[in-house]
Amino acid sequence: MNWKPNPFVIAGLAMTSAPIVAQAKIYVSIEQAQKIIFPNKVLTKAPILITGDLQDKMRSASSIRHPFQGERIWKASDGGWFIVDEVVGKHEMITYAVGLSPTGSVQSIEILEYVESYGYEVAEANWRKQFVGKTASDAIKLNQDIQNIGGATLSCKHITDGVKRVVTLYDLALKQAHSK
Amino acid sequence: MIRCKPLLGTFVEISIHTACLSQERAIDKAFAAIKNVQDLMGFHNPQSELSKINAQSYLQKIEIHPWTAHVLRVASEIYDHSHGLFNCGIGHRLVAAGLLPNNLDLEQHQFGGIEDLQFIDVHTVFSLKPLCLDLGGIAKGFAVDIAISSLLSDGIESGCVNAGGDLRVFGSEAQAIQIRNPAAPSELIHIGTLEHGAIATSSLYFSKRQQQSMSYVINPFTQEHIDFSGSYSVIANECIYADALTKVLAISGQTDHPCFDHFSAQAIRIAA
Repeated sequence: MNWKPNPFVIAGLAMTSAPIVAQAKIYVSIEQAQKIIFPNKVLTKAPILITGDLQDKMRSASSIRHPFQGERIWKASDGGWFIVDEVVGKHEMITYAVGLSPTGSVQSIEILEYVESYGYEVAEANWRKQFVGKTASDAIKLNQDIQNIGGATLSCKHITDGVKRVVTLYDLALKQAHSK
Repeated sequence: MIRCKPLLGTFVEISIHTACLSQERAIDKAFAAIKNVQDLMGFHNPQSELSKINAQSYLQKIEIHPWTAHVLRVASEIYDHSHGLFNCGIGHRLVAAGLLPNNLDLEQHQFGGIEDLQFIDVHTVFSLKPLCLDLGGIAKGFAVDIAISSLLSDGIESGCVNAGGDLRVFGSEAQAIQIRNPAAPSELIHIGTLEHGAIATSSLYFSKRQQQSMSYVINPFTQEHIDFSGSYSVIANECIYADALTKVLAISGQTDHPCFDHFSAQAIRIAA
């Protein structure tokens, strides 16, 4: 172990802190997540139209209010599914991918992006704006500034709810639409 | 490359310094190892080995996984050296406060603690009293250590595993460590650089803003929930020690508790 404390910490002086009013982390792209969850499988885009009725059922199964977008669904060559969704909490927005087996069981969950705002008056539009036009190489730069943060992190309960609605989507729509 | 998965009730990040695609499978294996720790030691999961220990160790001897055995041994070692301040036998208190799910009959009042758990041999335990152990204050740090062993055995030379703020870095490059300012959690304080070591932090700024008003840190002697506004960090060689020792720091409030020297750890308190 080799620990070099910031001299201010040793002296017990007031430390300067750098604001990260909107912390943004981009981990992997949709394409990378597809390769991670379904290595060596061909994925075909399989968007579906989410009817009002389906939207309602997914909402009551998961208690997530913002609408699910049906265009980020892919089918794998082995019959599995790759679905991208996001959960928007009061303090954060998390985009994630779920891999389902051909029978609809959850195989893998991968976080794609994590943005937190902490309820400061940062309008949603503003913290989304910082991603407009970002490429994978920009993402790496963003990450470099904010690595290795200690201290409590938000619980992942929202993701659990999100996965619930993806599984509901499978049960109500994907299963019958593609079973032959 | 950095990847992130929801595990251990939080977000776990693994970053390795490689551009080599074949090494990405090493991250999958490290995540799988963390998932194993979760399956063995999760309080929430009635099928976990921990739940089995809580339900049955008072009635019969139980064979346990070497990882669970290791965590229980370290928990008991820190219990001894902290004179009981670190005690993972308070699961029933967290259940009563609504911070953990109720898998047990709480009417059965006389719960023992980690001190009542006996090793018959290296992998077999039984308990002198009914138990309600919660490894929430130590298993996350252990999971980070296990992930790092897995990465090292796959030939990864440097990187970092961060399980919701319990983190460990490895490799020859010193890494900057930031912690959240407890007075303003959206701001970061650069507290130093770390090479080959772990740091864990205990604070309440996020749990407070959720509906739960009770602190998850409990004094094992008075059974009171301890409220604090600052943050407590411990730096140690292994993350299992850093994680568990933050509870000793939060409960004692002493950065010079003899326990830290004993485990070659350093304690840092940041006032809010």
